[in-house]
Amino acid sequence: MRVAIDWLVLLPVLAPALGALLVLVVDAIAPRLRAAHLAVALASLGAGAATAVRGVAGGDTVRSLCLEAPEGACLYAVAPTSGMLQTVALAAAAVVVLMLLGDTLAGGSVRTAADEPLRGGPAVAAALVLAATAGATGVVGAQDLGTWLVTLELATLPVIALVALAARPRAVHGALTLLVTSVLSFALLVLGVALWVIATSSSTFAGAGVRDAWGSAESRLVLVAAVLVLLAGLGFKLSLVPFHAWTPVTYAGAAVPVTLALATVSKVAALGALVTVVRSLASVVQEPSPVAVVAALGLVALTSMLLGAVVALRQVDPVRLLAWSAVGQAGWVVLPLAAVSVSATDAAAGYLAAYVIATTVALVVVHLAHGPVAAGAPEGPRELSHTGGLLRTHPLLGGLLALALVSLAGLPPGLVGLVAKVVALDAVVAGGLWPLAVVAVVGAVLGVAVYLRWVAILLGAGRAVRPLQRMPGSRFGLLLAGAALVVTSVVPALVLL
Amino acid sequence: MILAAAIVFPIAVGLWLLAAGRTLTRAAAWGLSVAVASGALVLTVAAIATDSAVDRPWVDRLGLSLALGIDGISAPLLVLTAAVGVLVTVLARSHLPEGGAPSTYLGAVLLATGGALATFAARDAILFFVAFELVLIPVWLLIHRFGDSRDEAARRDAGLRFVLFTVTGSVLMLVGILTLVTAAGTSRLDELVTAGADLPLGTQTLVAALLTIGLAVKVPVFPLHTWLPAAHTTAPTGGSVILAAVLLKMGTYGLVRLPLASVPDGFARVAPLLAVLAVVGILWGGLVCLVEPEAKRLIAYSSVAHMGFVVLGLASGTVVGVQAALIGNIAHGVVSALLFVVVGGLKERWGAVRLDAPLPALREYAPRLGFVLILGLAAGLGLPGLAGFWGEVAAVYSAWVSDLGPGSLLKVCAALAALGAVLAAAYTLRVARLLWVGEAAVPADPPGASETVGAERAVLAVLVVATVAIGLVPHLVWSVTLADVTAVMGR
Repeated sequence: MRVAIDWLVLLPVLAPALGALLVLVVDAIAPRLRAAHLAVALASLGAGAATAVRGVAGGDTVRSLCLEAPEGACLYAVAPTSGMLQTVALAAAAVVVLMLLGDTLAGGSVRTAADEPLRGGPAVAAALVLAATAGATGVVGAQDLGTWLVTLELATLPVIALVALAARPRAVHGALTLLVTSVLSFALLVLGVALWVIATSSSTFAGAGVRDAWGSAESRLVLVAAVLVLLAGLGFKLSLVPFHAWTPVTYAGAAVPVTLALATVSKVAALGALVTVVRSLASVVQEPSPVAVVAALGLVALTSMLLGAVVALRQVDPVRLLAWSAVGQAGWVVLPLAAVSVSATDAAAGYLAAYVIATTVALVVVHLAHGPVAAGAPEGPRELSHTGGLLRTHPLLGGLLALALVSLAGLPPGLVGLVAKVVALDAVVAGGLWPLAVVAVVGAVLGVAVYLRWVAILLGAGRAVRPLQRMPGSRFGLLLAGAALVVTSVVPALVLL
Repeated sequence: MILAAAIVFPIAVGLWLLAAGRTLTRAAAWGLSVAVASGALVLTVAAIATDSAVDRPWVDRLGLSLALGIDGISAPLLVLTAAVGVLVTVLARSHLPEGGAPSTYLGAVLLATGGALATFAARDAILFFVAFELVLIPVWLLIHRFGDSRDEAARRDAGLRFVLFTVTGSVLMLVGILTLVTAAGTSRLDELVTAGADLPLGTQTLVAALLTIGLAVKVPVFPLHTWLPAAHTTAPTGGSVILAAVLLKMGTYGLVRLPLASVPDGFARVAPLLAVLAVVGILWGGLVCLVEPEAKRLIAYSSVAHMGFVVLGLASGTVVGVQAALIGNIAHGVVSALLFVVVGGLKERWGAVRLDAPLPALREYAPRLGFVLILGLAAGLGLPGLAGFWGEVAAVYSAWVSDLGPGSLLKVCAALAALGAVLAAAYTLRVARLLWVGEAAVPADPPGASETVGAERAVLAVLVVATVAIGLVPHLVWSVTLADVTAVMGR
């Protein structure tokens, strides 16, 4: 069997994977050369992102790993929205790498908020981030069940290691929670994949097998069951209620750059995987959509949205608040998928992109405001009130954080968040599910209350923020993410394809 | 292009003032914002004169384009909004509320003005929603940061209540808009007028109900009005003026543009209920005003009553009714702005204006301010020759002649609304007796020492002229709106 491979198309996956290896090689040769580690990591991510952007700009689905006729299926296919997701994951990974490696260019090891070095050193951390990114970009394009499952786990496991690398008990606890969750999730995914294979008697997400499965009543039942089990498995990774319990523990326990990787790269991987499943189903399903799938997605979306917002209302630690907000926003990401259509998957991808950009800005600002303290100084708990008056003392930091928060709330001037909510609701309404949209109104209002509470603290007098450390990497990362937030707020069509 | 400039100019400068204006001196920030607001007014008038329009694709996925334009229905509101923007910035010279940097206050005012201009100029239903939301954060900022400095909890509560009520309303409206746009296949307002009317009655009713509930929060219609008194009581004078003269208008304008124009048959089914709620609001507002001790709160409740007349006119489904609503809208904007400037000014002088304690007689304390107060009260009560008269009379008339609703429901509504006008007379006289005639001894300062100062005087003079002008020559507004209202209603 011959496989036609277009290597260039695969670059968004291959470049970070290769980068991970190269970073380790450089580390072996010149362990002290931090700048080289950083340069290699950023170059690989940049090369991947450039290829992904080229694919998006082309406007067509790009394919590689295509089998010969008669099957003719391609094992790797990236639609424009998926390419956009890959770009977002690669860019977010670049910010994570900048935070991990860039802040200590002047010397010293990577320090977490608790002022402890990440075990293994910066090169290992960078390699893990790059590996997870390769997994995320891979699963977005994977069209066969095997690659899909493997890349999805590739996106998860390195992040667990990253969480565990911080030597604090809290971090180890967080890593353990995440590990248990991931094992459970993996078990469900394997079960789901098995059911899918039984239903479609094929190992790909491509049309023919799924169409046949949908055609007969018995295998249709198995197919729907497969989708539901896969949804449960991915629900863990997306932090959907009722699979969300690990999120606040792990987010708050990990070092902030690692939390950022969890909130961005891992989420892109999980949604990319879900989008592939829903697209495959949507390509064969005729009206009306399968009730079980619509009900499951709708219910999970609405409960996540409501519970996440309600609990976030009470949080004091900004990272915990962002963790619960991740639960709530995951509900918004999944909401359009209830319409089970290709256009709805585009809406979900667009919403996730808007969320990732805003969350990146928020987390980097939190990192800068609370980040590594001078050696020996007590860290103290993170509190929202520490960002009080940030707008006055550090207008750039405060302004970008405020913009990110109103964007997450879906209010102008954070137009990208607002338009993303419109797009999500539009997909739901277009699917004839307007009662779902009416309930989502409550979620939107609660969300506004959550983020405005923080904005009010930002505006308030507050106590003086401790002098910001010199953290060149995080600052550059913030500029990158902030520029993305501003540009997409002016031209939301860049991510809402 | 001129229209786009009139909108982008205040928004851009407002954002800049909010983000980076902290270093400006008070005088520089004031000068800049007055110049920008005046520029926006000039550009708005120029845009109306040249019939300026913009149309650019923005988010292809939603079919959303940056379509801006002007017609007879929006033109008077655009002028009102731009003019209020100038007045509020000018007023800031003498009345700059505490709570933050001058640039923050002025930036929020400019941003709110620009957002409201965008709302009235939007020719695309989804763009209308986006612009509608644009006003939220700046006005929240005005209440939360610059509201009554004595009571922080009340400020926080009023600000949050304002935002949450409005977001509930606007997102419900968004669901309505999206349902409409999906069914009709276009989001352009001018195309929706024909495409929406052809939809089946069930869809039309659903869309009309969602849109009407959503917009009713903003108007506000009883029983969704509870955010308004709190917001007005705590907001600084400039914030109250923007709330009353601009924000409430966005609600009624939306009712005309969306349910009334796009899904007329559906709106006709919702209208009788809306008319009943409007009348309840008229009576409720009037009754509360009879006993309310806090003067700013009282004016807020009288706003609920006045907006009741506006909504009653809209619900009548007649050309006269819509015309009444549009002129009532403008008149309420001018009159309530005037009253809030007077009472807000008194509150700043006295600390509080409570009608349950003896007050010094305004006719002696500050004769000019007293005169303006009486004029504003008279206009609010609907005295012929002043701005408030035409809207209220025509609204009652339109409800009386309307053929909507089961039996003679709207005739009953008309009669009750007329009763509400009597209530207005009663509470107006109460305020005049307590505040203008007064009971307490006038403070010992020499007469006229507390009289209006420069900026305040200029603002009040403009508002007085507008009140009298609209009262004497209602055709100023009526002739502009008539053609487009007839076009919308005459299908």
